[in-house]
Amino acid sequence: MEKSIETIWEQGFLKDDVLVAPKLNDLYNKKSQHIVDKFKRMYEINIIAIVVFALLILPFSYFTGIPYMGIPMFFLFIAVVLVNRKLKKKLDKIDNTKNSYQYLSSFDQWIKELVSLNTKLSRYLYPYVFLSMFLGFWFGSFGENIPGQDLVEFLQNKYPDMFMLFGLPLLGIIAVILALGLLALFGGRIGQWDLNLVYGRIIKKLDIMMRDMEELRGESGIDITNR
Amino acid sequence: MSSDFYTASILPFAGIIIKMCRAYTDTQEDFEDYYQEVCLQIWRTKDNFKEESKWSTWIYRLSLNVCMTLLKKRKKSKVSFTSDNLPDEVVEDSKAFADEPLNYLFNAIRQLSEVDRAVILLYLEEKTYQEIADIIGTNPNNIGVRITRIKERLKKELDGKVN
Repeated sequence: MEKSIETIWEQGFLKDDVLVAPKLNDLYNKKSQHIVDKFKRMYEINIIAIVVFALLILPFSYFTGIPYMGIPMFFLFIAVVLVNRKLKKKLDKIDNTKNSYQYLSSFDQWIKELVSLNTKLSRYLYPYVFLSMFLGFWFGSFGENIPGQDLVEFLQNKYPDMFMLFGLPLLGIIAVILALGLLALFGGRIGQWDLNLVYGRIIKKLDIMMRDMEELRGESGIDITNR
Repeated sequence: MSSDFYTASILPFAGIIIKMCRAYTDTQEDFEDYYQEVCLQIWRTKDNFKEESKWSTWIYRLSLNVCMTLLKKRKKSKVSFTSDNLPDEVVEDSKAFADEPLNYLFNAIRQLSEVDRAVILLYLEEKTYQEIADIIGTNPNNIGVRITRIKERLKKELDGKVN
């Protein structure tokens, strides 16, 4: 006669050694590895994306008639890639044979370095982008009329009393300087916001995990962070 | 997690967690991951336990939530193993228990839908329909019918394998 599932269940769990609880000592091993791997993948993809942008911006800007914007942007993207490649090398050097807490701490330190560097660079990066765009639209295409000069002539005809400095409208100069100043002032924050938009979820997860691990380590008993 | 908390509040109920995790995983590696995650969640949420239900019911509910969430995550993003992160040991869970019929039963349970697995596990753990409904958050009225249907399916799966 066939056994019922109730009998199989009951008889199967009769022996004491059936339900052996696994050890808890490597609770965070996979989690820590997983979060770092995920970040690395995203970071790598972003670097590749910037390289692609850098390569596309030159022909794109040429064909759309704003080559003076494309050239400085190209150099900017290349510089960003070089900086990030350097950071990536540091990231790859993090020793994953350490225990998971030390591993994540090193990763956390690296993230802090990334945020700090990004914040500093953003103060120059955003004004640079603005200036590139401004110059791109001002000078227009190679060998053609300069749209900026056309604009100045148009404004001079319309507002003959307009105050000029070095052949440019003073108000325009002030507006550009003000925009550059504001971008330099808030560039760091914009950079942080930008970084948060891309990696925010992972960074938040990392914070939670670090907090948990610190709390767990603080309590006496099982060290759950062994590798 | 202090060893005191683990020893006093989790270990006596490890059986519940083990059974739940076994029903939702295919390999020894996944099973250990799920078990550890459940323990961690119990520790994390221990302050939310209001003693409106039994501690064991709380553990059932939490184990179930964690297992279902992890299963959904796994389905969503099948982890790809590169040569750098090959699992050390992938043990087929078809031999998780020494008792052969029990292995067959767990294999059959794993063929069920996520909710049906929970229902039959709780039924086999001799929970009342009301308790089952409370734990999985459903109406107790159709639990009986559902159990009959699941048992029929399991019987079919086990047909000829278990004497």
